[in-house]
Amino acid sequence: MAQVKPASLWAWVWFGLGVLFFCLPLYGTLDFSLRATKGELGFTAYERVLSDPEFLQAFLFSARMAIFTILTSIIILVPTAYWVHLKLPRLRPVIELITLLPFVIPAIVLVFGLIRLYSRPPLLMTDSIFKTDILLVGGYVILSFPYMYRAIDIGLRAIDIRTLTEAAQSLGANWYTILFRVIFPNLRVAIISGALITFATVMGELILASFLARPALGPYMAELGRTKAYEPAALAMISYALTLVALGLISLISRGTVSQQQMSGAH
Amino acid sequence: MASQVAEAHPQVIALPRAARLKFSWTWLGVVPFFAFVIVFLILPSSALFIGALQDAEGNFTLKNIAGLFTPYVLEAYSLSIRVSLVTALAGGVFGFLMAYAITLGRLPRVLGSGLLIFSGLAANFGGVPLAFSFIATVGRTGFITAFLATALGINLYDIGFNLYSFVGLCLVYLYFQLPLMILVMTPAFNGLKREWREASENLGASSWQYWRHIGLPILMPSMLGMLLLLFGSAFGAYATAFALTGGTLNLVTIVIGAQIRGDVLNDPHLGYALVLGMVAVMGISITGYTILQRRSARWLK
Amino acid sequence: MQSKKSVLVVSVFLLIAIVVSACAPTTSAATAPAAATQAPAKSMDAAKTTSAADFGGMDGLIKAAQAEGKLTTITLPRDWCNYGEIMDTFTKKYGIEVTDLNPEGGSADEIEAIKANKDSKGPQAPDVIDIGLAYGPQAKKDGLVAPYKVAGWDTIPDANKDADGAYYGDYYGVMTLQVNADVVKDVPKDWKDLLDPKYKGQVALAGDPRASNQAAQTVYAAALANGGSLDNVSPGLEYFKKLNAAGNLLPVIADSGTFAKGETPITFAWDYLGLAAKENNKDNPKTLVVIPDSGQFGGYYVQAISAYAPHPAAARLWEEYLYSDEGQLLLLKGFCHGMRYSDLAKRSVVPAELAAKVPAPESYAKAVFPNLDQLSKVREDVKNQWDSVVGVNYPKQ
Repeated sequence: MAQVKPASLWAWVWFGLGVLFFCLPLYGTLDFSLRATKGELGFTAYERVLSDPEFLQAFLFSARMAIFTILTSIIILVPTAYWVHLKLPRLRPVIELITLLPFVIPAIVLVFGLIRLYSRPPLLMTDSIFKTDILLVGGYVILSFPYMYRAIDIGLRAIDIRTLTEAAQSLGANWYTILFRVIFPNLRVAIISGALITFATVMGELILASFLARPALGPYMAELGRTKAYEPAALAMISYALTLVALGLISLISRGTVSQQQMSGAH
Repeated sequence: MASQVAEAHPQVIALPRAARLKFSWTWLGVVPFFAFVIVFLILPSSALFIGALQDAEGNFTLKNIAGLFTPYVLEAYSLSIRVSLVTALAGGVFGFLMAYAITLGRLPRVLGSGLLIFSGLAANFGGVPLAFSFIATVGRTGFITAFLATALGINLYDIGFNLYSFVGLCLVYLYFQLPLMILVMTPAFNGLKREWREASENLGASSWQYWRHIGLPILMPSMLGMLLLLFGSAFGAYATAFALTGGTLNLVTIVIGAQIRGDVLNDPHLGYALVLGMVAVMGISITGYTILQRRSARWLK
Repeated sequence: MQSKKSVLVVSVFLLIAIVVSACAPTTSAATAPAAATQAPAKSMDAAKTTSAADFGGMDGLIKAAQAEGKLTTITLPRDWCNYGEIMDTFTKKYGIEVTDLNPEGGSADEIEAIKANKDSKGPQAPDVIDIGLAYGPQAKKDGLVAPYKVAGWDTIPDANKDADGAYYGDYYGVMTLQVNADVVKDVPKDWKDLLDPKYKGQVALAGDPRASNQAAQTVYAAALANGGSLDNVSPGLEYFKKLNAAGNLLPVIADSGTFAKGETPITFAWDYLGLAAKENNKDNPKTLVVIPDSGQFGGYYVQAISAYAPHPAAARLWEEYLYSDEGQLLLLKGFCHGMRYSDLAKRSVVPAELAAKVPAPESYAKAVFPNLDQLSKVREDVKNQWDSVVGVNYPKQ
């Protein structure tokens, strides 16, 4: 039964406040980025940034790493969270602590630890670009754990997994079927939330990429910000625009697969 | 002896074996997670855990742990915890209201998706760009400051606002706390079935009663989880605070940064001990959270 | 069905990842393993050489370095002392690819990177480092650096190098006031001018004095200008306490963005950084570099070669290049006076336009340089006393 009631006033108020709060600082950066030519508003800073081929390379590299990170994170966390919810609830505090550790362990300690461990035989991983990228994605996945786990945990709480599992099992489904045809589809919105935040985290990450000598967007932006004043602001706006496109794409792809009821919620 | 016990309590002998078998299969499910975490997190950080108990020459010592209880360090923890609590609560409350607005508030779907995407974008901000954007907005030369002064004659800094203060820092933190809450909380609203709302309205309950007895209790576990996440997120934030306060605000992360990465003579072992202190704080928070969770889960039964 | 849709979503993701990889210009494939096998015998010897003579002269060194083919540097921003151009010309001249790690970092990061990469032969291991003077002796004691004496060794002042060649001064500068002249109409000339109420909320440090070398040296410089000495930094701390109490000192870190915006129009920087910023800003904003009237405080950084360098010959060639006349002139182009500058000036090899661009050597004549012990003590004092004396803390909430 479709609801025809219009949105309440308060909903508009809170929505408006939210949009305002997000947009004002964005405008501050935008305004500054247009002032590279003294006394006038123009796109000089943008031209300078876009004429550097390294920017696009760095952006695409980070975007690639972000996608691999999101996929790996989902594959590891969804089955684990599901299993823990279902069978090992006592383990939950332990998993909570582990997934929150990336917040408190400084990235610099992590990256030097990774290098120390995996730069010598038998676990040599720093001698090829492919293996170093694996190290990098591994680090990124760890950094994404707090957000991904929380998103999936909340998603799991919103659906009654015990009943779903029992129903599926009574119909003769094996674990693989349950995971991929029952659990994953129901977690779609939650997974997408986690994916959006993970994408943001990886795009802005600096320390891991710097010390592992990989050409990511973070080090590129930091280097630019050292001496140039207007270019970093222009760079920030451009990368936000590109990220907006990427997020829009993710949302668009998933929108077609999310039922109307899920997105608009119950009334 | 064993047979006598088995006769008296037949299930005693049988249970351990069955439990042991079931035990091993269930635990297998979390092996990939733990393996990954050990390889990419625990082992690389082991230098940190060991280093906290060493001095510069490598001898075992507890002096770093003792160093945690100086007034200076305790003050740093207190400040970090305060900032984290304030931004977690503020982000939690406002984020809840905004997530509500776009799900149950019956706003057009495209606006809802738009806010989610913008939230993803705002979560992209952090560190120096975020600090700079706030400086460019409400700093002493920010455009809002200028606008208020010229158009409305109000000088923001004369009436007491200061971006470079506790309040200012919390405001900047809110910029990434809010999207976190909105993005991750939205799926939780799907757990509120439409039928429950209709049923409660049929029984004559007011909106407030619905929320108090049905809505909030159901959402409570998720909200508590979000508060924990927001707390952790603010507690561990470094780059943003450093860019905005120049290291003058003594948050634990900034003190750790000065010890481990500083260009002036530093004591990394004390830094490692400080990290252990942070882990302890998170551990305590999680314990508190788990207790609250169990209490609220009772309502659901 | 829903499961098909989730498979579709995942495949689209993978497709995007693949397409994005294909579209991105391919970065050069890893040649590190190949390079390692190309020069195994040489690298054993190269790590123990202490001068070009051990290679059989410069040509032998160049050949050995080219066989290695790569160099990894660390924390060398392109606009710091014109390092960008130095790295580019080095690559063009010898065909050695240069990778710079983490341009943002500090000396502690560089030392830590050497330690963490002891066994690593990959591009994450730094070959050469550029660190603050205070880090030299400890690095030597820990066996992290390999002694080496460049060709012009004798022309480097004795006071600025380690006798064994473990580390050696590379460039020096003096502490200056960097002013955004578009925002600040009345340009201050000296430290005491900054206490004037007209500069309310306009002064900021470029770093955290408890963690950043440049910021700590700023306090040191303030001490000298306010009655302190090379052994006593308390007047410097007192000065900043007064600045803060007057409301002139902003607790934010000044960078190029906040400086240009006008939020932090007055900051303190080494003269070479200030002059580089002035050149970069191109009058937007109008940047002035003011050497304070009351005294000049000097500081310098040191070069060293990692004892665990994966490319030891290339590392040594880099040092030779940096200390060659050509390298010293490129440093000068970045407003940095190299340690061999006086030798170059004596032999009149400095081009006139270049000499005109940078502050005349006479302006450094009065510059005061602290020695190692003074430096260590003062930085320790600043680190411990900054909070309690200056008290840039916020009202308890």
